[in-house]
Amino acid sequence: MIESEFAQSAVSLILLAMVILLIPASYRVVVGPSLPDRLSAVDLITTLLVGIIVLLALIEETPVVVEMAIALAAFAFVGTITIARYISEGRYF
Amino acid sequence: MLLEMLGVAALVFGVFFCAVGVIGVIRMPDTLSRLHASGKVAILGLFGLLIGAALLVPATALRLLVLGLFVLLTSPVATHAIAAAVHRRREIAQQLDEEHAAGAAEADMPYSVDVTAVLARSQLDEIMEALERTQQRRDPTDTE
Repeated sequence: MIESEFAQSAVSLILLAMVILLIPASYRVVVGPSLPDRLSAVDLITTLLVGIIVLLALIEETPVVVEMAIALAAFAFVGTITIARYISEGRYF
Repeated sequence: MLLEMLGVAALVFGVFFCAVGVIGVIRMPDTLSRLHASGKVAILGLFGLLIGAALLVPATALRLLVLGLFVLLTSPVATHAIAAAVHRRREIAQQLDEEHAAGAAEADMPYSVDVTAVLARSQLDEIMEALERTQQRRDPTDTE
Protein backbone atom coordinates (compact mmCIF):
# COMPACT_ATOMS: atom_id res chain seq x y z
CA MET A 1 0.00 0.00 0.00
CA ILE A 2 1.08 3.57 -0.54
CA GLU A 3 2.41 5.02 2.71
CA SER A 4 4.19 8.28 1.99
CA GLU A 5 2.26 11.51 1.65
CA PHE A 6 4.20 12.43 -1.49
CA ALA A 7 3.21 9.31 -3.44
CA GLN A 8 -0.44 9.66 -2.42
CA SER A 9 -0.69 13.26 -3.57
CA ALA A 10 1.21 12.45 -6.77
CA VAL A 11 -1.22 9.65 -7.62
CA SER A 12 -4.18 11.95 -6.94
CA LEU A 13 -2.74 14.68 -9.18
CA ILE A 14 -2.07 12.20 -11.98
CA LEU A 15 -5.63 10.87 -11.70
CA LEU A 16 -6.93 14.45 -11.99
CA ALA A 17 -4.78 14.99 -15.09
CA MET A 18 -6.13 11.82 -16.70
CA VAL A 19 -9.73 12.86 -16.04
CA ILE A 20 -9.04 16.30 -17.53
CA LEU A 21 -7.54 14.60 -20.62
CA LEU A 22 -10.95 12.99 -21.28
CA ILE A 23 -12.42 16.38 -22.27
CA PRO A 24 -10.17 17.12 -25.31
CA ALA A 25 -10.46 13.48 -26.37
CA SER A 26 -14.26 13.75 -26.45
CA TYR A 27 -13.86 16.93 -28.56
CA ARG A 28 -12.65 14.69 -31.38
CA VAL A 29 -15.67 12.41 -30.91
CA VAL A 30 -18.07 15.35 -31.26
CA VAL A 31 -16.51 17.25 -34.18
CA GLY A 32 -14.57 14.45 -35.86
CA PRO A 33 -15.05 14.97 -39.60
CA SER A 34 -15.48 11.30 -40.49
CA LEU A 35 -16.67 8.07 -38.91
CA PRO A 36 -13.18 6.50 -38.48
CA ASP A 37 -12.10 9.66 -36.62
CA ARG A 38 -14.90 9.26 -34.11
CA LEU A 39 -14.19 5.54 -33.76
CA SER A 40 -10.49 6.08 -33.05
CA ALA A 41 -11.36 8.82 -30.56
CA VAL A 42 -13.75 6.47 -28.73
CA ASP A 43 -10.96 3.89 -28.64
CA LEU A 44 -8.63 6.54 -27.20
CA ILE A 45 -11.19 7.45 -24.52
CA THR A 46 -11.48 3.78 -23.55
CA THR A 47 -7.70 3.53 -23.20
CA LEU A 48 -7.72 6.60 -20.97
CA LEU A 49 -10.52 5.03 -18.91
CA VAL A 50 -8.45 1.86 -18.43
CA GLY A 51 -5.63 4.03 -17.09
CA ILE A 52 -8.07 5.87 -14.80
CA ILE A 53 -9.37 2.58 -13.40
CA VAL A 54 -5.80 1.43 -12.68
CA LEU A 55 -5.14 4.69 -10.82
CA LEU A 56 -8.41 4.25 -8.88
CA ALA A 57 -7.23 0.77 -7.87
CA LEU A 58 -4.06 2.42 -6.53
CA ILE A 59 -5.98 5.00 -4.52
CA GLU A 60 -8.64 2.63 -3.20
CA GLU A 61 -5.92 0.05 -2.46
CA THR A 62 -8.06 -2.81 -3.79
CA PRO A 63 -6.26 -4.86 -6.46
CA VAL A 64 -9.53 -6.49 -7.61
CA VAL A 65 -10.52 -3.24 -9.32
CA VAL A 66 -7.87 -3.93 -12.00
CA GLU A 67 -10.01 -6.82 -13.27
CA MET A 68 -12.64 -4.23 -14.17
CA ALA A 69 -10.04 -2.57 -16.41
CA ILE A 70 -9.33 -5.93 -18.09
CA ALA A 71 -13.05 -6.41 -18.81
CA LEU A 72 -13.34 -2.84 -20.17
CA ALA A 73 -10.35 -3.41 -22.47
CA ALA A 74 -11.87 -6.66 -23.76
CA PHE A 75 -15.26 -5.13 -24.54
CA ALA A 76 -13.64 -2.09 -26.15
CA PHE A 77 -11.61 -4.38 -28.41
CA VAL A 78 -14.69 -6.26 -29.58
CA GLY A 79 -16.63 -3.04 -30.19
CA THR A 80 -13.81 -1.34 -32.09
CA ILE A 81 -13.25 -4.34 -34.35
CA THR A 82 -16.98 -4.64 -35.05
CA ILE A 83 -17.49 -0.96 -35.94
CA ALA A 84 -14.31 -0.85 -38.03
CA ARG A 85 -15.59 -3.84 -39.97
CA TYR A 86 -18.93 -2.07 -40.38
CA ILE A 87 -17.16 0.98 -41.80
CA SER A 88 -15.07 -0.98 -44.27
CA GLU A 89 -17.50 -3.70 -45.35
CA GLY A 90 -20.92 -2.17 -44.77
CA ARG A 91 -22.06 -5.08 -42.61
CA TYR A 92 -21.21 -6.37 -39.18
CA PHE A 93 -20.02 -9.98 -39.63
CA MET B 1 11.20 4.76 -0.81
CA LEU B 2 13.23 4.16 -3.95
CA LEU B 3 10.44 1.98 -5.33
CA GLU B 4 7.96 4.77 -4.67
CA MET B 5 10.11 7.34 -6.45
CA LEU B 6 10.48 5.00 -9.43
CA GLY B 7 6.74 4.32 -9.45
CA VAL B 8 5.83 8.01 -9.40
CA ALA B 9 8.36 8.64 -12.19
CA ALA B 10 6.75 5.89 -14.31
CA LEU B 11 3.29 7.34 -13.62
CA VAL B 12 4.48 10.79 -14.73
CA PHE B 13 5.99 9.21 -17.87
CA GLY B 14 2.66 7.54 -18.62
CA VAL B 15 0.51 10.62 -18.09
CA PHE B 16 2.96 12.67 -20.17
CA PHE B 17 2.52 10.32 -23.13
CA CYS B 18 -1.26 10.28 -22.59
CA ALA B 19 -1.24 14.09 -22.85
CA VAL B 20 0.99 13.96 -25.95
CA GLY B 21 -1.34 11.45 -27.60
CA VAL B 22 -4.49 13.46 -26.83
CA ILE B 23 -2.89 16.67 -28.13
CA GLY B 24 -1.85 14.77 -31.27
CA VAL B 25 -5.38 13.43 -31.78
CA ILE B 26 -6.71 16.99 -31.63
CA ARG B 27 -4.04 18.77 -33.69
CA MET B 28 -3.10 16.25 -36.41
CA PRO B 29 -4.55 17.05 -39.85
CA ASP B 30 -5.28 13.55 -41.13
CA THR B 31 -7.17 10.48 -39.93
CA LEU B 32 -4.15 8.19 -40.23
CA SER B 33 -1.93 10.70 -38.38
CA ARG B 34 -4.53 10.81 -35.61
CA LEU B 35 -4.42 7.02 -35.43
CA HIS B 36 -0.64 7.22 -35.05
CA ALA B 37 -1.03 9.64 -32.14
CA SER B 38 -3.66 7.53 -30.37
CA GLY B 39 -1.38 4.48 -30.63
CA LYS B 40 1.11 6.34 -28.44
CA VAL B 41 -1.51 6.56 -25.69
CA ALA B 42 -2.32 2.85 -25.91
CA ILE B 43 1.25 1.58 -25.62
CA LEU B 44 3.57 4.19 -24.05
CA GLY B 45 1.01 6.03 -21.90
CA LEU B 46 -0.87 3.03 -20.56
CA PHE B 47 2.30 1.00 -20.00
CA GLY B 48 3.87 3.85 -18.04
CA LEU B 49 0.79 3.87 -15.82
CA LEU B 50 0.83 0.07 -15.44
CA ILE B 51 4.53 -0.08 -14.51
CA GLY B 52 4.10 2.78 -12.06
CA ALA B 53 1.11 1.09 -10.42
CA ALA B 54 2.99 -2.22 -10.16
CA LEU B 55 5.92 -0.47 -8.48
CA LEU B 56 3.70 1.48 -6.06
CA VAL B 57 1.42 -1.40 -5.01
CA PRO B 58 3.14 -4.76 -5.73
CA ALA B 59 -0.04 -6.69 -4.81
CA THR B 60 -1.59 -5.63 -8.12
CA ALA B 61 1.42 -6.69 -10.24
CA LEU B 62 -0.02 -9.98 -11.54
CA ARG B 63 -3.33 -8.46 -12.66
CA LEU B 64 -1.49 -5.52 -14.20
CA LEU B 65 0.71 -7.97 -16.11
CA VAL B 66 -2.38 -9.70 -17.52
CA LEU B 67 -3.90 -6.33 -18.48
CA GLY B 68 -0.62 -5.24 -20.11
CA LEU B 69 -0.34 -8.42 -22.17
CA PHE B 70 -3.98 -8.06 -23.25
CA VAL B 71 -3.52 -4.43 -24.32
CA LEU B 72 -0.27 -5.34 -26.08
CA LEU B 73 -2.17 -7.96 -28.11
CA THR B 74 -5.39 -6.09 -28.88
CA SER B 75 -4.40 -2.44 -29.36
CA PRO B 76 -2.41 -2.92 -32.62
CA VAL B 77 -5.19 -5.14 -33.99
CA ALA B 78 -7.83 -2.48 -33.31
CA THR B 79 -5.67 0.29 -34.80
CA HIS B 80 -5.00 -1.83 -37.86
CA ALA B 81 -8.72 -2.48 -38.31
CA ILE B 82 -9.50 1.26 -38.21
CA ALA B 83 -6.66 2.03 -40.64
CA ALA B 84 -7.87 -0.66 -43.03
CA ALA B 85 -11.37 0.84 -42.86
CA VAL B 86 -9.98 4.30 -43.72
CA HIS B 87 -8.02 2.85 -46.64
CA ARG B 88 -11.06 0.99 -47.95
CA ARG B 89 -13.19 4.15 -47.82
CA ARG B 90 -10.57 6.06 -49.80
CA GLU B 91 -10.38 3.28 -52.38
CA ILE B 92 -14.16 3.33 -52.78
CA ALA B 93 -14.26 7.12 -53.18
CA GLN B 94 -11.48 7.03 -55.77
CA GLN B 95 -13.14 4.23 -57.70
CA LEU B 96 -16.44 6.10 -57.74
CA ASP B 97 -14.68 9.25 -58.94
CA GLU B 98 -13.15 7.37 -61.84
CA GLU B 99 -16.46 5.73 -62.74
CA HIS B 100 -18.31 9.04 -62.69
CA ALA B 101 -15.57 10.71 -64.73
CA ALA B 102 -15.75 7.91 -67.31
CA GLY B 103 -19.54 8.20 -67.43
CA ALA B 104 -19.27 11.98 -67.86
CA ALA B 105 -16.76 11.55 -70.69
CA GLU B 106 -19.11 9.19 -72.47
CA ALA B 107 -22.10 11.47 -72.04
CA ASP B 108 -20.03 14.58 -72.88
CA MET B 109 -20.79 16.41 -69.65
CA PRO B 110 -17.55 18.10 -68.59
CA TYR B 111 -19.02 19.83 -65.55
CA SER B 112 -20.02 16.65 -63.74
CA VAL B 113 -16.39 15.88 -62.83
CA ASP B 114 -16.46 18.85 -60.47
CA VAL B 115 -19.76 17.60 -59.07
CA THR B 116 -18.30 14.19 -58.26
CA ALA B 117 -15.24 15.78 -56.63
CA VAL B 118 -17.51 17.78 -54.33
CA LEU B 119 -19.51 14.64 -53.62
CA ALA B 120 -16.39 12.65 -52.74
CA ARG B 121 -15.32 15.27 -50.25
CA SER B 122 -18.58 16.01 -48.51
CA GLN B 123 -20.98 13.09 -48.90
CA LEU B 124 -18.93 9.96 -48.42
CA ASP B 125 -21.75 8.16 -46.65
CA GLU B 126 -24.13 8.47 -49.59
CA ILE B 127 -21.32 7.31 -51.86
CA MET B 128 -20.81 4.25 -49.66
CA GLU B 129 -24.50 3.38 -49.95
CA ALA B 130 -24.45 3.90 -53.72
CA LEU B 131 -21.43 1.61 -54.02
CA GLU B 132 -23.13 -1.04 -51.95
CA ARG B 133 -26.11 -0.95 -54.30
CA THR B 134 -23.89 -1.23 -57.38
CA GLN B 135 -21.95 -4.13 -55.85
CA GLN B 136 -25.15 -5.96 -55.07
CA ARG B 137 -26.23 -5.45 -58.70
CA ARG B 138 -22.92 -6.69 -60.07
CA ASP B 139 -22.27 -9.96 -58.25
CA PRO B 140 -25.39 -11.58 -56.84
CA THR B 141 -23.27 -14.55 -55.70
CA ASP B 142 -21.83 -12.51 -52.79
CA THR B 143 -24.02 -13.84 -50.01
CA GLU B 144 -23.85 -12.92 -46.37
